[in-house]
Amino acid sequence: MIWLNVAQALLLVAIAPLVRGVIARLKARIQNRRGASVWRPYADLAKLFRKEDLTPPSASIVFRFAPMIVFAATVTAAAFVPVVHGSALLGATGDFILLVYLLALSRFFLSLGAMDGGSSFGGMGASREALVSALAEVPLLLGLVAVAILARTATLAGIVQWTVRQDFTQISAVHALAFAALALVAIAETGRIPVDNPTTHLELTMIHEAMVLEYSGPSLALIEWASAVKLSVLLALLIAVFAPWGMAGGVSVPALALATLAFLLKVFVLALAIAVVESSIAKLRMYLVPDFLGVASALAILAVVFTALMR
Amino acid sequence: MHLVHFAAARALASSAVFLFITVLLMATAKRISTCIVLFSAQCAIITAEILAMAYVHKSPEAYAVAALVLIVKVLAIPYALFRIVKNLQAPGDITASTTAAQSVFIAAGLILLSFFAVEPYSETLRVDTDMLAAAIALVLSGAFLMVSRKKALAQVIGLLVLENGIFLAALTTTFGMPLVVEIGIFFDLLMGVFLMGLFVFRIRDTFEHLDVSKLRRLRG
Repeated sequence: MIWLNVAQALLLVAIAPLVRGVIARLKARIQNRRGASVWRPYADLAKLFRKEDLTPPSASIVFRFAPMIVFAATVTAAAFVPVVHGSALLGATGDFILLVYLLALSRFFLSLGAMDGGSSFGGMGASREALVSALAEVPLLLGLVAVAILARTATLAGIVQWTVRQDFTQISAVHALAFAALALVAIAETGRIPVDNPTTHLELTMIHEAMVLEYSGPSLALIEWASAVKLSVLLALLIAVFAPWGMAGGVSVPALALATLAFLLKVFVLALAIAVVESSIAKLRMYLVPDFLGVASALAILAVVFTALMR
Repeated sequence: MHLVHFAAARALASSAVFLFITVLLMATAKRISTCIVLFSAQCAIITAEILAMAYVHKSPEAYAVAALVLIVKVLAIPYALFRIVKNLQAPGDITASTTAAQSVFIAAGLILLSFFAVEPYSETLRVDTDMLAAAIALVLSGAFLMVSRKKALAQVIGLLVLENGIFLAALTTTFGMPLVVEIGIFFDLLMGVFLMGLFVFRIRDTFEHLDVSKLRRLRG
């Protein structure tokens, strides 16, 4: 059992760059470009790990340690999400609130590192990230709370096991609203269009890229890998909470193989959705981002209230 | 046959949820064309619901009503509205007086309000609470769309949503009106849309914009 839980957490960490590569490739195909290979993010990471790690002369020790804490917190969060069967490595030791705040911890240290770097871009990016994450925290927590109230348990594994037992043709208002809220949050949290543009490197409105401008070499590799893991953690969270059907019931090789295949297929569908959305809409102005997350908050609050109305 | 039965039951059970989603999306929509597509989707959901009701209650009249809704509301009215938008050659934004987040909060509040409003009646009328609440929510949010949108065309869509709500309320409480009355209502609605279209053109020609908050020149 334990090796299986380790394996599924590692799966999430290992496929994270691939998910990014697939989204980039799908976007390229939609925009009539050929696009880079889906394995390119791995090559990028390998290249960065071999490079020299430069530190600005003004930076303190925080700058050096921030990428490691960011990566560690994100990977720990990955160990909470059930992927191929109904439990997780740390599923029994913490609930979804811990998962949310592990991601918040990673963001906090990323912002600290950005401000410590000393460039003006880093400070700007950090303050924007603080704004976005403060606004995204409410819908993320409330969306999960709504589902947790339905499942009557706070652990992610418990929520997943409850959802698997439900009939998937029963579309409940709570699930529809919570899914909409969490999907909007996932877009904001992972810095995708329309909140942030992940492909830009020189734009006044960039958020994530502005924060990592001063990083280089292995530190940059850790941060980039962590942000890729965060994307796949949030996608896996959406899948686990709203569409876990297909997960292995017991521990047998065919069931697990089927569950892994189903998971990869669901991730591909979500990646396709992200690629279509990113190709068809423009980035929001920075001042409209609170409005975007306000919509997510309203949906999440409505989802929580509906748990009392619709049984 | 088993599959049709299943689909009908599901359509009845989950159409309220989809109607709420269309209302919330309409509150966030920034363009007239999005609103028109959402209105068409809303009417398609109502069509599915009438079809499911017709199947469950074995009523041939309801099939005719469903066909009318499909032709008039899902196809004809959105087509007419798109024609108006195209011929107006005015900017396609709706200029709301509330931000998207505020609109969604208000629409969410109206949905909750409608749940509390129908609670005492659903027992005595012996109807589905969700459906009746969805109908009242459509009426309230249609009215809200009318008062919060500044462009004349967006207000027309608000009125159409309101009408959808009244239609749905009649459908859930009395299982629809007689077919002749229903046909009369649909033609009324179609004429209404054409008249409002003409009116919108007149507003544009006289004032060179569609923003009703600037219509102050009529004061004596």
